[in-house]
Formats: sequence, C-alpha cells, structure tokens
Amino acid sequence: MSVLTAIAKGVGTAFRKPRIVAVLYVLNVLFTVAAAVPLLLIVQQELGPSLVGSNVRPMDAMWIGEAVLKYGEALMPLLGGVLVVGVLCLVLNIFLNGGVVGRLLDREGASKLEPFFADSGRYFWRYVRIFLLSLVFWVLTFGLVLNLLSALIRPLMENAWTEWLPLILSNLHLLIALLLLSIVRMIVDYARIAVVSDGERSVLRALRHAVRFLGARFFRAWAIYLLLVVLTLAGTIVFYVVFGRFAAPGVAGVVAGLVWTQLYVLFRLWMRTVFVAAQAEYYRAHPY
Amino acid sequence: MNVRIFASAIVGASLVLLAAAPFLAAQEPPATPGGPGLRYEIWVELDAAGKMLLGKEEIVWTNPTRDVVPDMLLHLYWNAFKNEDSVFLRESLAETMFRTGDAPDDGEWGWIDITDIRLADGSDLKPGLQFVLPDGPETAGDETVARILLPTPVQPGESVHLRLEFRSKVPRTVARSGYYKDSFFIGQWFPKPGVYEEGKGWNCHAYHMNSEFFADFADFVVHITVPKGFVVGSSGKLVSRSDDESVKTTTWTFSQAMVHDFAWMADPRYLRIERDFIADRDVTAQEYQETADLLGLPLEEVRLPNVKMILLIAPEHKGQIERHFKALRMALKYYGLWYGPYPYETVTMVDPPFRTGSGGMEYPTLFTAGTRLLPSKNQLSPEGVIIHEFGHGYWYGLAANNEFEAAWLDEGFNTYSTGQVLAKAYGPGAVSFVFKGLSLDWFLRVPKIFDFETDRVAAINTVRYDPVTAWSWKFYNRGSYGANVYMRAATVLRTLEGYLGETAWARIMRTYHMRFRFKHPTKADFLGVVNEISGQDMTWLFGELLEGTETFDYGVGAVSSAEVPAARRGVYDRNGAREEVTRKKAEELEAAADKAPGAARSYRTTVVLRRYGEVQLGGDAKVQVLVRFKDGSTETRAWDGQARWARLEFITPVKAESAQIDPQGIWLVDANLANNSRTVDGLKRNVIKLMSQALFTVQLFFHFVGSWS
Repeated sequence: MSVLTAIAKGVGTAFRKPRIVAVLYVLNVLFTVAAAVPLLLIVQQELGPSLVGSNVRPMDAMWIGEAVLKYGEALMPLLGGVLVVGVLCLVLNIFLNGGVVGRLLDREGASKLEPFFADSGRYFWRYVRIFLLSLVFWVLTFGLVLNLLSALIRPLMENAWTEWLPLILSNLHLLIALLLLSIVRMIVDYARIAVVSDGERSVLRALRHAVRFLGARFFRAWAIYLLLVVLTLAGTIVFYVVFGRFAAPGVAGVVAGLVWTQLYVLFRLWMRTVFVAAQAEYYRAHPY
Repeated sequence: MNVRIFASAIVGASLVLLAAAPFLAAQEPPATPGGPGLRYEIWVELDAAGKMLLGKEEIVWTNPTRDVVPDMLLHLYWNAFKNEDSVFLRESLAETMFRTGDAPDDGEWGWIDITDIRLADGSDLKPGLQFVLPDGPETAGDETVARILLPTPVQPGESVHLRLEFRSKVPRTVARSGYYKDSFFIGQWFPKPGVYEEGKGWNCHAYHMNSEFFADFADFVVHITVPKGFVVGSSGKLVSRSDDESVKTTTWTFSQAMVHDFAWMADPRYLRIERDFIADRDVTAQEYQETADLLGLPLEEVRLPNVKMILLIAPEHKGQIERHFKALRMALKYYGLWYGPYPYETVTMVDPPFRTGSGGMEYPTLFTAGTRLLPSKNQLSPEGVIIHEFGHGYWYGLAANNEFEAAWLDEGFNTYSTGQVLAKAYGPGAVSFVFKGLSLDWFLRVPKIFDFETDRVAAINTVRYDPVTAWSWKFYNRGSYGANVYMRAATVLRTLEGYLGETAWARIMRTYHMRFRFKHPTKADFLGVVNEISGQDMTWLFGELLEGTETFDYGVGAVSSAEVPAARRGVYDRNGAREEVTRKKAEELEAAADKAPGAARSYRTTVVLRRYGEVQLGGDAKVQVLVRFKDGSTETRAWDGQARWARLEFITPVKAESAQIDPQGIWLVDANLANNSRTVDGLKRNVIKLMSQALFTVQLFFHFVGSWS
C-alpha cells in the first residue's frame, strides 16, 4: 500500500466514525472545565466588574502582574491541582484508546458507544502495560541517545568561534529529538494496533511485532507519520492565521473566536484518529 | 612580561602623544569650572596569548576639599575574580535568585597586582600598601580595595602625583570583563582612586555582586598596545595608532577629558564602522521649537552638537549595522533634546564579543550593546539595550551618582528614560520569545507592549522586599535589586511625571541633569529640584514610594445606583395629623410619580472608595474619582485618600454606569488597577474573550496530555 493510499483510507475511516471524536471532545471539555474553573473564577472576580475588563488583552502584562501579586502563592497548589487532573486525564485516555483503536480497526462496524466502551475495557490493561513500557523507550531515547548526542556536540559548541555553530547544532539536536520522538510514538502506535488487529495478549510480543513491522518498511511507515504531522501543522497554521482575524472588537468576533477554537480542538482530535486509522490501514495491508 | 615590547610601546606612544599634544589641547571639550581634580595617563599592553595586561599608570590627584588627606584608597576591581574569598564571589555564590557569578574554572581566575607604586619624586609607597575592608570586617579576605599611606598628607588644593605599575590576569568572562579565545573586553581594569568626600573621607567600596561603580571625573590619556591586526574600541577619542613591526604590535592612543572611567575591547575579527550624528539633519526645526517651548528655554540652548558614532561589531552581525546606528541616533537625539546636549565628540558602541559576557554595560563614551543572529523585526532588540546603555552616559556618566549607595539614581532614571525614547521612536515592542536561538514572536503573535508596563509588573511585585533606596549589596536578592532600582524606581518616576504634569516634569529632569552634570548628585539633590520646579513639597512621596516598602493601592470598593423613592414608608406628622405611609401607599405614590406628565425621577449613586494599601497620599495630593452616567455625562470629585475609606453620594437624573478612581492613570505605581473601577452591572466582552482563550489553552493542554497516552 502506498503512503498516500494509507492516509486517504485513514481519513475516510476517520470521517465515517465521528462518534469517536465526539467522545474525545466531550472528555476534553469536561477535564478543561474542571481544571479551568478556579482560573475563570479569578478572572471573573477581578475583571468582571472592572473597566479593565473592557480592554484587557489575552496576554495583558499589566493585569497578569496584578494577578501574580495577588495569587502568586496560590499558583503552586493550582498547578498541583491541574497536574492531578492531568494524570486522571492521561489514565482515562489510555482507557479510551482501546475504544478508539478498536472502532477504527473495525472499518465497517458501528462506532456506537457500547462497542466503543467495550473495546476500551477489553484492551485497557494491555494499553496500560504498553504505556508503561513506552516509558522505557522514552528514557532510552531522551535519557540516553539524546544525552549521548549532546555529549558529542558539546565540545564543538563550547569551542565555537561564533554564534553560528551553537545555533546550528542546537537546532540540529532539536530536529533529531523530534524525529526520534516520532519514531518512538510510531512504535507505540503500531503496538497498540497489533494488540487489537492480531488479538495479541502479550504487549511485549505486540511491541516486537511493531518493531519488526517497522523494520521491514520503515521509511514508508515514517512517511505516513510525518505527512500526518505536516497535515496537522498546516491545519494549525491555518487556525492561527484565521484566528488573528477575530481580534476586532464586537460580540460577533468573540463568538466567532470561540467557535473557531472549538473547531480547531475538534480538528486536533480528528487528526488523532486519522493517525491511528492511517497506520492501521497500512498495518493491515501488510499482514505480519 | 615582555619588557622589550612594553618599553618600545611606551616610547612609541609617548612620541606620538607629544606630537599630538597641540592637537589634543585644541580638541578637548572645555573643562567644567575648576576642571577635574584627577588626571590619568596609562600605558597598557595586552598579552593575548597569556591573557595578561601589563600596565603603567600615572595618577595626579588634587585635593578638592578643606580636609587634610593622609592616604589614598584605590579600587583593584579585578581582585574580585581572584578567589572565593572576594566579596563579589561570596555574594554571587550565596545568591538565591539569579546566579550570575559562579566562580571561574581552574586557571580562569582574574586578578590585579600593583607591582610598584611611587610618588613622582621616587618615594616608594609599596611597603605601606595594604588591602582594607571599607564595608566592614565581614568582608575579610576581599582584596578589591587597597590603601596607601602618603609620606606627607595632601593639603587642601594640593596635588599628589603617583606612578604605578600593575600586572593583571584577564579573567575568563566574569561580570562583563574577560576574554573568550582572542576576544577581550576590558573594564574596571586599572587601579582607580575612590572619591574623596569632605568630612567623610574616601568613598571606596569593595566590588559587590549587585553593585556598579563610583569614581571622580578625570582627564584620561590611555595607550593600548595589542597584537597587530587586533581591532580596538575604547572610551574617548582615538588620537593615534602606530605599528611596531619589530614586535608585531599596534599601539592605539585614546584621550578623553571629564570622564570617570575608561574601558576598551580588542578583537582581531571585528569590524569598525563610523557614522555621524548630524544634528541639523537628525533633528527637525519643529522638534527644536517644541522642546524649547516645553522646557521654557531659548532655542539656542536646546540645539544639539554633531557627534561621531563608532560601532565595533562582529562580522556575523554585519546585517544589523544600520539598525544599531538608527537606535543610537534616536538616543542621541532624545536624550540630547530632553536632558541636555551630549558633551563629548565621540560615542563608541560595542557589539559584545562572543562569550565575553560583556553585553549591556555602560562606560563613559563607550557602551556595549547586545544582539544575536536572526533578530526579530518585531522586538526592540538590540534597540532597547543600545538606547539604555547609551542613556547611562547621561545617568551615571554625566550625572554621576554613587552606584554603590544609590543605584536607582542611574538605573531607575535610565530605565524610565529608555522607555520614553523607545516609545517615542519605535512604539511598543513584541515580548521576546526565542527558542533555540530562533524568534517565534511572528508565529505566536505575542503582544507588543511598552516598557512601562513590564516595569510596573516588577514594581508592584517587588515592593515587599526592599526600599528602592537601599545600598546595592543590601538587597534581599538580585531579583529585588534589579526590580527595585530599575523598574520600581522607573515606575515611581513615571508616577511623578503623571502627577506633576508633562511640562513641570520635563523641566525638572532637564534642570536636575544640567545642574548636576559632572557632579555626584544624591536623592536629596533630586528632591530639591523636584520641589523647586513643581512648587510642591514632594518629600512624602519619596518617603512612601522610594524609602518605604508598603503597597500603594487605592480602589473603588462598591458602586450602586438606584432610583430615589418618590415616597418613604413610615409614620409622618403632617399638617397636625399623624399619617402612616404603608407599603401599599408607597407603591401607589411611586406609580403615580412614574405616570405624572413631565415627572423627572432622580437616582442616588453611592460610591465607596477604599485605601487598600498602606501608602497614604501626602501633601496636596488627591486622587480623582470619575463617575460616568448612562447618558454619557460624568462627574469628577477628589479624595485626599487619608482615611481607609470614603463614601461619595451623587443625586442625578440618570443612573450611574461606572465609577473610576484615578481615571487619568496618574498613579501607575498602584498595585491593583483592576479594582480602580467598578461598573454598576454587566460582564465585559473582553473578559468573556479572555475566559474563552484561557479555556482554549487548557483544552490544548489536555489534548496534549491525552495524545501521550
């Protein structure tokens, strides 16, 4: 299967399963509201009755300085709360991944809630184990490989005669880190797909499948992943370009901005399903 | 030490200097009345390979006081980098916020030794030279101040002529002095007397981490010998340059009258470019006229001189040459127009050599800027640092306060002035957002803000730690030092400007600068000018906002506006009879009043003002309170702000919409501008927008978390 065919089929599958995105969106909104309420209360209390609220900007140094003065000491507890909610969100997403992958791999099947959550429950512990094992990959990648790379380029940077060399090397380091990141994420994605597609109960075997699968056709698989990254970036650029137009005053501008941000969140969630669907299509086209 | 090189350099340079003497005399700016009581002539050779300076120095000091002076205290600043017993490194290592001065690595220490010191008659003073601890016994171990006992005390008006030889190891980049590979930035490098204060003795503090410097005005002639091919930039004006082919060196001679320090840099790769600030081209007739009108001065007094601008810049920053010159032009123009003409012939701007850590520092007639590869067009960088460091030529360079004891008098004044020039010349600039050396402001659409906004953020958050007027090394930490002496001081000055008005303020700043040019002003001197020009006693403001650590916060506690009832309930004695106005009757009377043709109802608006902070207004100062009504009309009252609260009532034909304290935004130092106003009802559209964007940010965060599952 060609790269573009895999992506096209993945896009088609994702379009046919809008309920998956809806579930992810609802979850996202619920967590957002839970975490953002204290912040919104502060904004409402401080700026709601004030004329400053008429001209406050999204990043208003004058007001942010006042907020830091008043709520600076509450910042750590607040961040702690967000972290707890974030961990809960992570666990719930691990749970939902089973439903996402399960329903997307069932290309023609329904994406109703019942089978979705059934898949979520069925694959939950295996996905938890994959997540935990993925931490080993992250440690190896960022703790070892990138540190090794840093150690290699450090003498060059420390002995540079001008700013150019450190600039180029540090950005090269970043690029390599991002590419390694994409590879690790790809391995984890294919392992999840293998668990569902092959009914694999051992996550170690699933990871081995994923590695071998990628070893046999690495560049095509990587091309799928990177093209989807480019697609996401393109969507993000479009979002920010259009979003800039909503800066004009007026209720319509505020409402349009609100709607546009939500469309972007939906786009990102949809792209998340496209990543899975396209890679699943590619995986199934090359049975192990 | 290579004696032959050194001796030939000195002979060569002296010959050049002799030849140039008549020229020098003709070119030097006129000395201030009395002239400086200090003269230096220094011969220094850079040993680039050994990272050493070898120097000879002549100092002629004239006692300007009525005291008989038995000794002299000398700064030996580079001993701050000699070992971990120095005050500088002890304070740096104990710093809790911004560690800027980690001790140098092995072999990278810096130091200065006086190898010989004599009077002009040959009397050897070296045996009596000893390190002293002007800042107390707790600074024991520090070697940055040395004392010499003079064989004969210096009588008032008499001079003492010293001849020194010194030998210094250039540190590997500490506190804006040092080297990286073949690049050198050399500041605070020569033995320098403290400032003798009548009745008090020598003011000569140790080199502290947070402190900058203090010295007397002097006439300098400096001969710098470097390996041939090195480009040199220095304080003062280049008098001559001569090569010695036998030892492959070049000696650059610079001179400058009426400055209190001398710094230089050397780098073989650097570009040296000159441009002219031509007053008749760079300042319009209208700008001169407006300035003269504002300051109440004759037109001739505000005219500016031409100035030679010299830029030393790294080749990789070549594309930014014009950007550097434009910023310097703006600085020369506005500092000149507002505070007084730049009095020197040259100004040298140095793009700091890579990794010498020398950026963003001021020296008389020379300053270091600071830029990077691929700068953003939206950010005012390097413009901000160029304007700021040039501005120190005024606040520190000319009005030469003691930076050890009153750093706010230069840093605060100059932070304020920088913000004014940037706003006038460029408008607001984008907040810096750089990742891996690349500017991301174009993508992130970071907001553009004025300097006074960020200054205020720091000002309101730092007031709890220290007064602005604390001595430099007595601040809670480096963050408190920076935020107080730079930003809070600037915010207080801007507040003063708002309170006293544009014209009075412009005249205060001009008068203060010109009156104390080539002098060492203090807080009292500035307060004296403020009171004199404004005609008000502003002592209270200095006490509360500069010497105090309390918060300034006035606000509107509550506002309500309701119809005045047509009838009130209760028992009334009317026309000899007692009558009860019942609830029902009152409602009927209200309805009748509403229906009456041409009936005009009135509204009672109650505004409660609060003094949330501990700072109280003083003198004649009052805060204005503006109430805006539904029909667009307004009413303004004043409150002296003495009590903790005040209640104001307004009876008007229409309902109130909002109440606002300090509607003109005079009291920028107010810690909470959000509570300065309250509306009677309604949530603001921008608040909803802000909330929706906050929600969106949190949404993206959770999406990000989810995507890592």
